[in-house]
Formats: sequence, C-alpha cells, structure tokens
Amino acid sequence: MSTANPAREAVATVPVRETGYIDSTSRVSRPMKTILWHILLAAIAIVMAFPFVAMLLMAFRPESVVALSDILFSDQFTLDNFRMNLRNDSMVRWIFNSFVYSLVSVVLVLLLASMAGYAFAKKEFFARDKIFWLFVAMLVVPSQVTLVPLFILLVQLDGANTYWGLIVPTLANAQGVFLMRQYIRGIPDDLIEAAKLDGASEFRIFWQIILPLTIPVQATLGIFVFLWHWNDFLWPLIVAQSNEMRTLTVGLATLQSLVPSTNSMMAAAAISFAPSLLIFIFAQRFIVQSIATAGIKG
Amino acid sequence: MVLFLLFRIWPAINGFLLSFQDYKLSGDSTFVGLQHFRDLFDDKIFWGALKVTALYAAISVPLTTIAAVSLALLINRAIRGINIYRAIYFLPYVTSLVMISVIWSWVYRADGGLLNSILEGLGLDSVRWLQDKDLVIPSLAVMSAWKGVGYSMMILLAGLKAIPETLTEASRVDGAGSWQTFWRITLPLLKPVLFFVVVIETIGSFQVFDTMYVMTNGGPVRASYSLVYMLYDESFKFQNFGYAASIGVVLFFITFMVMMLQRLMFGKNDS
Repeated sequence: MSTANPAREAVATVPVRETGYIDSTSRVSRPMKTILWHILLAAIAIVMAFPFVAMLLMAFRPESVVALSDILFSDQFTLDNFRMNLRNDSMVRWIFNSFVYSLVSVVLVLLLASMAGYAFAKKEFFARDKIFWLFVAMLVVPSQVTLVPLFILLVQLDGANTYWGLIVPTLANAQGVFLMRQYIRGIPDDLIEAAKLDGASEFRIFWQIILPLTIPVQATLGIFVFLWHWNDFLWPLIVAQSNEMRTLTVGLATLQSLVPSTNSMMAAAAISFAPSLLIFIFAQRFIVQSIATAGIKG
Repeated sequence: MVLFLLFRIWPAINGFLLSFQDYKLSGDSTFVGLQHFRDLFDDKIFWGALKVTALYAAISVPLTTIAAVSLALLINRAIRGINIYRAIYFLPYVTSLVMISVIWSWVYRADGGLLNSILEGLGLDSVRWLQDKDLVIPSLAVMSAWKGVGYSMMILLAGLKAIPETLTEASRVDGAGSWQTFWRITLPLLKPVLFFVVVIETIGSFQVFDTMYVMTNGGPVRASYSLVYMLYDESFKFQNFGYAASIGVVLFFITFMVMMLQRLMFGKNDS
C-alpha cells in the first residue's frame, strides 16, 4: 500500500501509452476522487448508523414526540424515559442478571479454557488429540440442536431458573479451548521444563507462566465471551422461568410484547446497547484483528 | 473435561437419541423409532417452517454477501478516516438481535415507522412491512443483512489484503480495467474466503429465531415461523421434547451438508 512497494515502482517504469494504466486514474484528479470516495463511504455510514442514532434521539425525546421530523429536529430533551426504565425494579434486576451471566461466564470460561488448552497443548495423556478433535467437532453441532437435551438435563439436575443453571452449561466453550490450545502450543517447552527444574508445582507453572503469557488471547476471548453472553437470547429465555431470573435481552423481549411507548422502549434498548458500545469503542482493535485472523464467530 | 462431556457432548448424542423417543419431563420415555420423522414428513407446519427458513436464507445470504463484497472492496483503500467508516459498518454486529429487533420494529412499523414516514413524505402509499405475508421475510432478511454485513466484510477484507498487489497491478499493466481486474483476478483469488463467508452466513440464517420471536411472533399466519421457532414451540410450549429433538436433527443435517459442501470444494482451509 505504501509507495515503497517495489511492484508499484516497477509499474511506474512501464511505458505509459500502451498500458492505459494512467487513463483510469487521470480522468478525475486525485483529490477530487478522494472526495468522491468520502461522499460514498459517508452515505453508506449514515444508512448503517441511522437506526442507532434514531434510537438515541427517541430515547431522549418526550413521549409526545413521535413524528419522524420531530424526532430528528425537535429541541425537546428529556431523561424521563431512562428514569422510568431504571425506576422499574424488574429492569434493574434484568441488568444485574445480564452482568452476572456475562461477567461470571467470562471469568470461568477464561479459566477453564486456558486450563483445558494447556492440557491439550502441553500434557501427554490417553487419546489426547482424539479428545481434542472431538471437542472441536462439537463446533459443527448448532447450539439449537443441543437445546432440548440440554434443557432436559438441566431439569433433571434441578438447574432450571437458577444462576448456575444459566451459566454452567455455557462454560463448555469449544471455541475458547481451541483458541487457547493453539496459542499455548506456541509457548516454548523449555520455559516449562526450566520451571519444573526449579521445583515449581504444576499449579504454579500454570498460574505464573502460562496465564501471564496468554494475556493477549485472554483479552480477545474475554471480549467475545462477554458479547456472546450479553447478547444471548434463546438460552436465557428457556432457563429463566420467573421474571426475576430474566436477563436484559429476555426482559426487553417481554417489554416489547407489552407494547409500551416507543420512546421508552428505545431508552431500554439504549441501556442494553451501552455495554456493547463501550466494549466496541475500547476493544475494536482486538475484535477486528481476531475476526480477520481466526474468523471467530459471534 | 467433565463439564464438556456433560454439557456439550452428551447433549449432542442425546439429541439424536431423543428424536427416537417420546419424552416426558417426569422422566418417562418410550422408544418410538422413526415415528417422529414420519410425523414430521406429514406435518404441514414443519414444511411451512422449512420453506420459510429456506426462503429467509435464500434472500439474506446473497444480499449480505454482495453487500459485504462491495463494502470490502470500497473500504480496501488508503484514505484518511477509513477506520472510522469500517467501525461504523461493523457496529451492528456487536449488538444483540433483541435490541436490533426493538429498533427495527419501529423502522418497519406500519403506522408512523421510519420507512413509512419517508414514503409518506414522498407522497407514496405506506407499506405493511411486517404484516404482509409476502413481505415479512424479505423485510427480516434485509435487517439481518444490515446486522451481519460488517462481520463478513471484515473477513473478506482480510482475504483481499492477502492478495498480492503485484497481481492486480500486473493485470492493469496488461490493460485490464478495474472491472475486468475484479472479475478475472480478485474474485477467483477471493473464492475460498468468499465461500467460507457464504457457509457461515447460510448456517447462521438457518438458525434464525430471535428476530422473529420479538418482531412478528412468527406471523402473520406463520409466514415468519422458522425451524428453530418450531423447535422452541414444540419443546417449551407443547412439551413434545422428542418431536422437537427430531427437528434439531433435521437442522443438524442441513448444517452438516452445507459444511461438507465447503470441505468438498476447498479441502481443509477453514479456520
């Protein structure tokens, strides 16, 4: 992409007349062309971002403001929609539940995935690679397929409508184990051997050598696990059988079916949007990189 | 390990076993062999759901892919501020389908919604986007393209960056226009990545549920009643767990075939 590219320089030495190369760029001057690109890209960006902008605008408008032109250009501004939502005890409870579901899962998935990843990468045990590929093969089975048996299992274990019932089954994260194993394989064996010679216990090796070295992957995986859980719908919908156990996504769906005013609904949506947006702003680089390199699926 | 066995592998196996049983939550179960699959075959609702799901995939996958390729090509250039555009295109991807459904319920609302307000402003008749049985699936598919395009664009962008610039430059030197360069050079080289994206999108669209549950309740008259929606109803509403599991098995085979197709065409190049 830079001018230092040898290919570019080679091209520049080719006689111009016969190639037609210059023609395609010189019809419109360069700065003009850049402006045209900007206009096109910005137009698409407006379309892509408009639903979010409209959501925020409506969330901050009084309930009487419903016409599109008023939503866009009215000078009325209110926090009532947010206040009303947050005064609703159910809403507060749902937000709390979503945080419990997401944060606890992040911590436990990271811990379990790195332990399993470490075992699969560095330990010798019976049929290790076969078991590992069996794990990975589970990625092929859509979660909706295991939904019914998983729910039956949960009922048998008395886990329906409990936090642990919500969280524990989601901890078996094959994608996480796969990521961690691939990363930990890259850590030199010498490091582990040296620690062993120094008399470090198995636990200390894991805690003080493996974990610190895997922080970049941990961060990436943690972000994704948070987003997956924060945005998850079907599983919490099934596990939560009482209003107090609903997560925010399930709660939003319930609210929507009660047909409240659009503006207050938009405020509720904006509340559920806030954590995703914050993560997106601060961790965009991580998310983009890992999708580009590993094709992580949300 | 135990966790995996218990919550991932056992349910997967049990999913198949259940589809041959009549299961009650009390724990009673009777073996019914292939009865559920025979029932499915005769079930008009099942064929309806399969048709709805296939139609949804048939619209949303090409739409998302074409949009994603176009955006990836657009954005694969060094202009100042390109990262901001990329971020905006990608933003819908990190949000929840439920939240998106709340916003788009307003976009599509028949009375005073965004699209109809614009149509009315232009002096046109308003359209019942979600209440018309022929329009509801295309409407939902457009929305899913809006949400998913950023993810596919990112993967395609990585694919584009991997194509050596020397090749596209060489084709220009040989006198090819940018359109020709795209069809002759870029697209063939992008094919494996493109196919990966299509597979991921296809599998994803066969699992559609959240938006339909929130926005249309599967309606009007089951015009947006998908396979997963039926699976949900059969199990958690009607408690026909065995029957629901057999829908799961059908879903698995669809997913499996799509993946095998990819394997056959491109060997082991997925990540």
